[in-house]
Amino acid sequence: MLSIRNLEAQVEGKDILRGLDLEVGEGEVHAIMGPNGSGKSTLAHVLAGRPGYEVTGGAVELDGVDLTDLEPEERAAAGVFLAMQYPVELPGVNNTHFLKEALNAQRRARGQDELDSVAFLKLVREKLATVAMKPELLKRPVNAGFSGGEKKRNEILQMAVFEPRLALLDETDSGLDIDALRTVSDGVNKLRDPKRSVILVTHYQRLLHYIEPDFVHVLANGRIVRSGDKLLALELEEKGYGWLGLDGEAA
Amino acid sequence: MNSESPATDLRQLLTERFAQKAQPGEGADWLSPRRDMAANELLQMPLPNRKQEAWRYTSTAFLEQESFQLVSEDGFEALELSDIEHLLLADDTYRLVFVNGRLIPGLTSIAEPEQGLAISNIASGASDIAESVRDQLARIGSHRHVFEALNTALMADGSVVHVARNAHLSKPIELLHISIDLETPAIIHPRHLFVLEEGSRAEVIERYCSIGESRYFNNALIEVSLEKDSELRHQRVQEESRAAQHISDMHVQQKEGSSYFLAQASLGAAWSRSDIRLEFAGEHAHAEVDGLLLANDKQLTDMHLEVRHDVANCTSREVVKGILDGKGRVVFDGHIHVARDAQKTDAMLSNDNLLLSRAAEVDTKPQLEIYADDVKCSHGTTVGELDQDMLFYLRSRGIAEAQAQQMLCQGFAQQALDAISNESLRQRVAWLLASRLGGGE
Repeated sequence: MLSIRNLEAQVEGKDILRGLDLEVGEGEVHAIMGPNGSGKSTLAHVLAGRPGYEVTGGAVELDGVDLTDLEPEERAAAGVFLAMQYPVELPGVNNTHFLKEALNAQRRARGQDELDSVAFLKLVREKLATVAMKPELLKRPVNAGFSGGEKKRNEILQMAVFEPRLALLDETDSGLDIDALRTVSDGVNKLRDPKRSVILVTHYQRLLHYIEPDFVHVLANGRIVRSGDKLLALELEEKGYGWLGLDGEAA
Repeated sequence: MNSESPATDLRQLLTERFAQKAQPGEGADWLSPRRDMAANELLQMPLPNRKQEAWRYTSTAFLEQESFQLVSEDGFEALELSDIEHLLLADDTYRLVFVNGRLIPGLTSIAEPEQGLAISNIASGASDIAESVRDQLARIGSHRHVFEALNTALMADGSVVHVARNAHLSKPIELLHISIDLETPAIIHPRHLFVLEEGSRAEVIERYCSIGESRYFNNALIEVSLEKDSELRHQRVQEESRAAQHISDMHVQQKEGSSYFLAQASLGAAWSRSDIRLEFAGEHAHAEVDGLLLANDKQLTDMHLEVRHDVANCTSREVVKGILDGKGRVVFDGHIHVARDAQKTDAMLSNDNLLLSRAAEVDTKPQLEIYADDVKCSHGTTVGELDQDMLFYLRSRGIAEAQAQQMLCQGFAQQALDAISNESLRQRVAWLLASRLGGGE
């Protein structure tokens, strides 16, 4: 479903991804791990099309469509969703209004009918339960004054509403206490679907106790250097990244 | 000066109007001494120029480039509601419609005001308003510049609104000014006086609109007198033609325990300025100002705001947001003055500006002048561009760039929009903002 071949990318003129290959099949959950600065988050943002993250080589195809030529909003309509490590606060932009505009923009781009207010609110009410989010947060500006846990829940709520083909979860566990981590993971697990693929970007194994991946990859110096199943994550937990002998590869 | 070149001589306008005393709208005799005084004052006043601090960033060069004429005929009596339907609010109001400065009775709906409310127009002499009330006209504050003196000398129409003791009005009073293109561009002098007696409560909506891209110059002056414990919610929306000039001056005087809430959106005109002066004349009074200044390409939008804390225990909060695009210019001058005896003053002033273009320019000057020692005062100003992280966040959720920009601007302006308590007016302003930011104008 997602095919990344020999992907190279720069941020501010600096090479971050240096020939990355990754195949993600439909319904699979892949964890991308790696030391700080290895390019994990860059990969997530490159896939979402963040301006300033420039693809300098290789190809990314989602369902046969080349993503690299698409604007971020076009990628969203194509089914890419990025849950951010630090969700941005949008003062003055009402959360419900934002969700509805975003969903309908995606639907329009896909040639689907827009949802009217009644149908939309019904949908959101259903999805709120999935992430155990307080309904009041819908009436507030997006993420403004939300706690760390509330922000992450709001990200997962969006994922539930947009029903993406490919969800990229960038360090979703960071800044969460154990209860919040559990709720957020529950939300993601409920959204696992044979038609939906997930890429979890994480530094720690902790998250993988809650969201069990089908595959684990280690990213270092902009390349995938080791792939395996969830046992690889346990090994990393135990031994750290040192045993992979990555230091020698550092530029 | 070459008589061929178009220019507006303000003093010449005085001479013309005073030569034609019989004009309708000259009002009653009681106005004449004030007009004469204002005319004399005007002759002593310097014309605004960039060397004066108050006009340093706001050129009045348009007066040299256009020959504005006083409107002598009405000719708009035949207008029907259907002609201005697109400008009407959904809500029921006491509506006064002024077309090119003159009240049009056929469009006006104040026939049966409720108990405690008296409204009269100035052209009729406001003779049905108590003398003690109408006597306050041109007495609240003094003329700060030639445009104010000119208004008093030449006002042709406007309103006097009187709300009786303890009356709580059931619906807003709406002053709808509409300008329609004339062969020669008009200079219009709308004038309003609101007097709220003790314990009364009212809502006033003041609007400036145009039909078509007309050229004209609105020079409005508003006086507000709030007696003890009264409350006024004042909502002003300036959506003039993009070819017009607009200046609106305001003097607000607040007695003990009174509250004044001003929500102002300045969206239109090629050149606009508002000079707002709030004065506390009694303790425990409260004022709030929420302003929204929009300056699209080649538009100048200016707000001068002066808050006088002359007595103790008053609170004021002023928040003004500017949004600029293209070669737009915003001028903001906010001045809080706290006198020596005004202890326990609590005052806050802020001006935030959002620049959508590198070619736009903001001149902002918030000032505190404090002579008391036991006060809580703050001021702040920011100038920034759209946040790229916010923009990406919205786009990554499927919202196209243009719409994302618009949503962020709307978000930036939200506090100013929320301050507009009348829902249909608030929706109109949100719509105007969205359409004008969309590059439509």
